Amino acid sequence: MASATQRAELLERHARRLRLMVPAEAADLRELPLFSGIPEKARDKVVEKVRRYVHKVELTAGETILREGDYSDSAFYVVAGSVEVVLASQAGRPDTLARVRGGAHVPPSPARPGAKADNLIGRGASLLGVAGDLAGERKQLGAGEIFGEMSALSRYPVSATVRAEGVVSLLQIRLPGLRLLTATSKEFKKFLDSRYRERSLALHLGSVELFSKLEASVIERLKQRAELVSFEPGQIVEQEGEQASAFYLVRGGFVKVSVAAGSSDLAVTYLRKGDYAGESALLVDQAWPFTLQALDHAELVKIGKAEFRELTARYPGLEDELWREAVARLKARAVALENPTQSEYVQMAMETGLIHGDSVLLIDLSTCTRCDDCVRGCADAHAGVPRFVREGQKYRNWLIPTACYQCTDPVCMMECPTGAITRAIGTLEVTINEKTCIGCGNCAERCPWGNIVMIETQERRSDGKLVELATKCDLCLTRPQGPACVQMCPHGSSVRISFKDLDRVTQLLR
Amino acid sequence: MRAGQVLRPKRPRSFQITLTLSTVAVLVFLVGSSLRPWSPKRGLGLAFGVLAALLFVVEMLYPARRPRARPFRSAMGWLQFHVHAGAFALVAALVHTGFRLPSGRLGWWLLALSSWTVATGLLGVWLQKWIPASLAEGLRVEAIYERIPSLVDELRAEADRLMQGAGDVLERFYRSEVRAPLAAVNRSWAFLLDVRGGRERALEPFRRVAQFVDAGERQRVLDLMSIYTEKMELDAHYSLQGILRGWLVLHVPAAGLLMGLLAVHVFSWFWY
Repeated sequence: MASATQRAELLERHARRLRLMVPAEAADLRELPLFSGIPEKARDKVVEKVRRYVHKVELTAGETILREGDYSDSAFYVVAGSVEVVLASQAGRPDTLARVRGGAHVPPSPARPGAKADNLIGRGASLLGVAGDLAGERKQLGAGEIFGEMSALSRYPVSATVRAEGVVSLLQIRLPGLRLLTATSKEFKKFLDSRYRERSLALHLGSVELFSKLEASVIERLKQRAELVSFEPGQIVEQEGEQASAFYLVRGGFVKVSVAAGSSDLAVTYLRKGDYAGESALLVDQAWPFTLQALDHAELVKIGKAEFRELTARYPGLEDELWREAVARLKARAVALENPTQSEYVQMAMETGLIHGDSVLLIDLSTCTRCDDCVRGCADAHAGVPRFVREGQKYRNWLIPTACYQCTDPVCMMECPTGAITRAIGTLEVTINEKTCIGCGNCAERCPWGNIVMIETQERRSDGKLVELATKCDLCLTRPQGPACVQMCPHGSSVRISFKDLDRVTQLLR
Repeated sequence: MRAGQVLRPKRPRSFQITLTLSTVAVLVFLVGSSLRPWSPKRGLGLAFGVLAALLFVVEMLYPARRPRARPFRSAMGWLQFHVHAGAFALVAALVHTGFRLPSGRLGWWLLALSSWTVATGLLGVWLQKWIPASLAEGLRVEAIYERIPSLVDELRAEADRLMQGAGDVLERFYRSEVRAPLAAVNRSWAFLLDVRGGRERALEPFRRVAQFVDAGERQRVLDLMSIYTEKMELDAHYSLQGILRGWLVLHVPAAGLLMGLLAVHVFSWFWY
């Protein structure tokens, strides 16, 4: 437990930071180069809309603005002064691609002696930050520069630590503001894209398992020729039956993959960070066998047919892998058409948000004796305080308790003022460090599923009130046997799954 | 859930092992007793007695599965061992006696208690398969046992709010026929056989009242009916989850007593 003084100090620092944030004035914003790309007539309206999401922040030398590994929903525009960007050396990063586990019983972490490669499923969706070409360097950014936008838009962990060099004046632009700006100003969008291309695209491409064997020069050429495209929720990326002309790589958000069956639309699967689509059509030069539709704000990398063909011609191994994937996808398509129930599971997961989870706890109510041994096991593993409640949504015979889903994009991690809520790069578990948690409740408010709970402790604040700290499921990170809720269920009714693992989902839910 | 599904072992392999061991034990008895007179006090008879006693002692360690389910991989492994080893312990005890009725009072108590403990254990296995399946298949509502009384209170308060401003007919019907059953949780054994039992009969008066009220009030009747249905589902949950907790009263004290008598039995064998 952190000492009361330490926590009070952290709390005071947070309060000070909040005091420093002042809503931006429309007149100040209007004159900034940031808005120059917006046509004169529309500028006032856009400024007025964006203003709600923009705050002025003044910081002094040495103060940390962004921390490497944190998730952030804001970009920072330097109005005056300068900041120092410090990138950790690549040597400090894991040398293998982080993978997303479906079963989540044994995580790929050294904390678990039982970790095995065959327990890992799904494609190598990299959770690495986008360190870009600056790895290991220190860089100065001055007035007119922007930083943090890629992490906010793509929901990747921040790839560098950014500190104020002297007195610095910044504009903090929250995600909705950034989206408004990219939608209304072509120049701003172009500016962001060029920066992403320059700093991060190569690393992103290289971190995708499919492209991991490509030579640097090939990645470089791909980087120059790939198109960066964004889609609004519900927008169609590609329509089934249309001639395929591109290969897509997801860099942020979720995309639904579906097929038409009569007048309805059957969900086959979904794509998330690191996933790709288009190989089924391009390899045989056919029309799209699926419809791709953005489920939320999706950011994709579009690789043209010509580049795709060049790649497959040059790398037969890559082509083989794509063929395997194409066959698997077409098989999934056939299964969906033959057995629409399977589609129902994916559809349900999309509608309820379960697709966001990498390790969702499900309880089979047809075998669960309501003995609460799962909750007791959880309490035993966490000093007597359980991290979930055996209550929640019900789907058929399954209960989806209020336990953290370990989201692919953990929105709870955005704006944690002390960085207490973290996910180590390359791992799955989102954990809260109780020593640095100040109980601000930001994470609990942000969790769309209500899976983070504020719990009173015995510690008292200076005003005499009891300190409340955020708690959530951490998949029993330090427990070699894996999550206690699963291991301690005497009837095998508790399971942890990722809805990406459709075979297992179908096997369980049918 | 069909009876066949309830009788199907959760882990067929564990069941097969238990069955094989039991068969082997009986065969050993048959062969052994054909070669020389069988006695619980010596040779194989005694060995089976020791084995049965040890198994019963290990069975009592079931609560020690927490927090890490050692030495098994999971609590499910522990439970499977508990069930199958318990059943085999009874077979071993019977082989120990040479399938003869006891002569003394202590022997009778031991036989009765070990049979009772195993029988109630198997009853628990049946209940733990039957009840969850009935609850999941027959009910829409899911509730935590301890919270059910407060949920029922909330439903009653909701019904009271709904009835504010209701017409005379509906108000009278509510006060005379609905409010009292809504006031507290009603337990019933009948839910064990049919989790939705009595529902149609209980809802019939609502349908009749709906015919006598105007269109505006009809929606109120339907809402009241929905509250009442939910209350009946909570009753079923409370009754059946109560049974799932309660059957242990039949099993655990008897097992404790069996341990005590077993200690006396072992002690007396050494002493005398």
